[in-house]
Amino acid sequence: MNAVKYTLLLILITYTLVTVSQELADDWPVADEQWQEDWETDDSPWSLAGYTEVSFGSFLQSNIVQSELSLSEIRLRLDAGYSHDYFEFSAIGDLLFDDIDSGFEWQTRELNVALSPLNNVDLKIGRQLITWGTGDYIFLNDLFPKSWVSFFSGRDDEFLKLASDSARATWYLKDITIDLAYTPNFVPDDYLTGKRFSFFSEKYNAQIAPDNNFFKTTTNNETYSLRVTSSYQGVEYAIYGYKGYWNSPLGFNEQGQAYFPTLHSYGASIRSSIGSGLINAEFSVYNSIEDISGDQLNIANDQIRLLIGYEQELIKNITGGFQFYVEQTLDYQEYIQNSFNPDLVVDEYRQMFTFRLTHLSMQQKLKTSLFTFISPSDNDGYLKASMNYRYNDSWSIASGTNWFFGDKAHTFWSQHKDNSNVWIRAKFNF
Amino acid sequence: MNSFISKLALVYCLSQMSFGYAEESLTAQQIINKSNLASYYAGNDGRAQARMVIVDGKGQKQIRQFTILRKDIEDLGDQQMMVFFSRPTDVKGTVFRVNKKINSDDERWLYLPALDLVKRISAGDKRTSFVGSNFYYEDVSGRNPQEDNLTLLTSNEDNKHYLLKGQPKSPESVEFSYYQAKIDKKTFMPVNVVYFDQTGSKLREMKVLKMKNVQGHPTVVHSRIHQFSDNSYTDLQFRGVAYDVGLPSTVFTERSLRTVPKKWLK
Repeated sequence: MNAVKYTLLLILITYTLVTVSQELADDWPVADEQWQEDWETDDSPWSLAGYTEVSFGSFLQSNIVQSELSLSEIRLRLDAGYSHDYFEFSAIGDLLFDDIDSGFEWQTRELNVALSPLNNVDLKIGRQLITWGTGDYIFLNDLFPKSWVSFFSGRDDEFLKLASDSARATWYLKDITIDLAYTPNFVPDDYLTGKRFSFFSEKYNAQIAPDNNFFKTTTNNETYSLRVTSSYQGVEYAIYGYKGYWNSPLGFNEQGQAYFPTLHSYGASIRSSIGSGLINAEFSVYNSIEDISGDQLNIANDQIRLLIGYEQELIKNITGGFQFYVEQTLDYQEYIQNSFNPDLVVDEYRQMFTFRLTHLSMQQKLKTSLFTFISPSDNDGYLKASMNYRYNDSWSIASGTNWFFGDKAHTFWSQHKDNSNVWIRAKFNF
Repeated sequence: MNSFISKLALVYCLSQMSFGYAEESLTAQQIINKSNLASYYAGNDGRAQARMVIVDGKGQKQIRQFTILRKDIEDLGDQQMMVFFSRPTDVKGTVFRVNKKINSDDERWLYLPALDLVKRISAGDKRTSFVGSNFYYEDVSGRNPQEDNLTLLTSNEDNKHYLLKGQPKSPESVEFSYYQAKIDKKTFMPVNVVYFDQTGSKLREMKVLKMKNVQGHPTVVHSRIHQFSDNSYTDLQFRGVAYDVGLPSTVFTERSLRTVPKKWLK
């Protein structure tokens, strides 16, 4: 059996790496007799760390996809770095055996150099992750690629963000900071394709799960992302701009192939403490350049998105969060008139509430998290619950559920009802 | 108010210098202010590498290793802090940024490198665990002396320490009923603090295990907090302590979350 072979191989590699990483680590002995000793600093510029993780997930009902499992993989993470006075080199990658999708493969997560060529300028060039905006699991002005497949299947939150090969420059001026990210080759989201999860097709008016990645025209053009931030007396302000493409194939070309239409967006956000809580507000305007008037049958319309959130510690060790999100489709009449099926259109004002509860217990070894999306306009929702137990610095175990509900076949969350799943992960850090 | 307190503290420092010991005239509040000044405000700024060993009731150990940078806005007043984690490997690169405010809630941020996420954190209960250890946030950054009613007890153990009793002004905000702090008369460093519940049983205890003189400042380099309810404890040890490093205020900004200011971490 392949899985067993790969598991043994990964165990062997992990063992070797644990040994090497301990050699490189700046060792501060734990033993009591050495505790009182003065420490020697042995700062090697090299660092090596990582983890091995085994993950399984299963659907809660029959799904039209091929596998009964929603998650079945073994991952070996390698995180190597070199720290120099003038630059920082980072290489992070995963050796992954994914029994459902790709099989055995190497995924480079980060491969970049960071440096400060001028006193007030930071540069990071290469494969990297970029995140901005104020939402909690809701993104308006952050149009960097994301993996909804990871998010729905119970992988760690870090896999929600995908890396892109980019150059990011940050200028620190007196009161403002300017971030500019340039990505020569557009990277789309890891959206649902049918390999792991089924989804509703407006075109076929049915739930589908195409065997192969459904065919789409790729876009290799460049994208630009801009953010300007400032903060005054603890209040953080930001404005954003984006010139690129929709992150999922929200257009069909004349040959009926899915593709990524051009998208320009701009927006702003504010974040501040208020009493003992935190408040945030963000809006963005999406200009779907190829369908400005909204009358293109096969291309997404313009949108205005608005988010308001509040978070505070409710009682000791329990934090609660609340968000309200609304997404307005512009040129709504044109959108209705030019849709595949007027019964399946999204509301002009699609609304969503989210609620978060996070509980830390057992000396923070156990983290229990409950996150719920509820849409009153679509009458559907998504419950994301998890427990993460950190046994010690090396071992941790996590388990949870992704549960979708709703009464229609086609709405945003409801279409994933058959994708509802439970998952479990065990991780060894080194 | 703060400047008044710091002036008051300064007046007492001066009076001590000119007239030698003035211990009889010190009130409990003045002692705790001096103690806070010595413990949390030494120099105008400071840097230290820290390590925690967290030992649970069953003897299981966990490690936390981090570097702390601190800059005072004003003595006994607001402070800026950065905590750069290097161990264990799953928190490596995580940075914690705090603007400590005396008259309002602290501002806190957490940088998670795996997501490139700067997460702003709501001001939480300060008497919750700092990174899973037996130290509370308040043990690391200092408890505001204005929050307690303090009385000076006569110590019958020796003549080298003050013994103070602190009772919270708002008892519902804390887990203890009162505490007793043993403070060195010369250095004003607390060497032992015991927290009691209503029945007078010990809840937790902070003990200084090793002190060192760094640039003229008495400095705790090894302390332990013991939790009696589950018999767990955490040792906190410092190395590479330096004061008046000259940390610029630009170090205490969002930039340092993503781009670690290596120069100032030594």
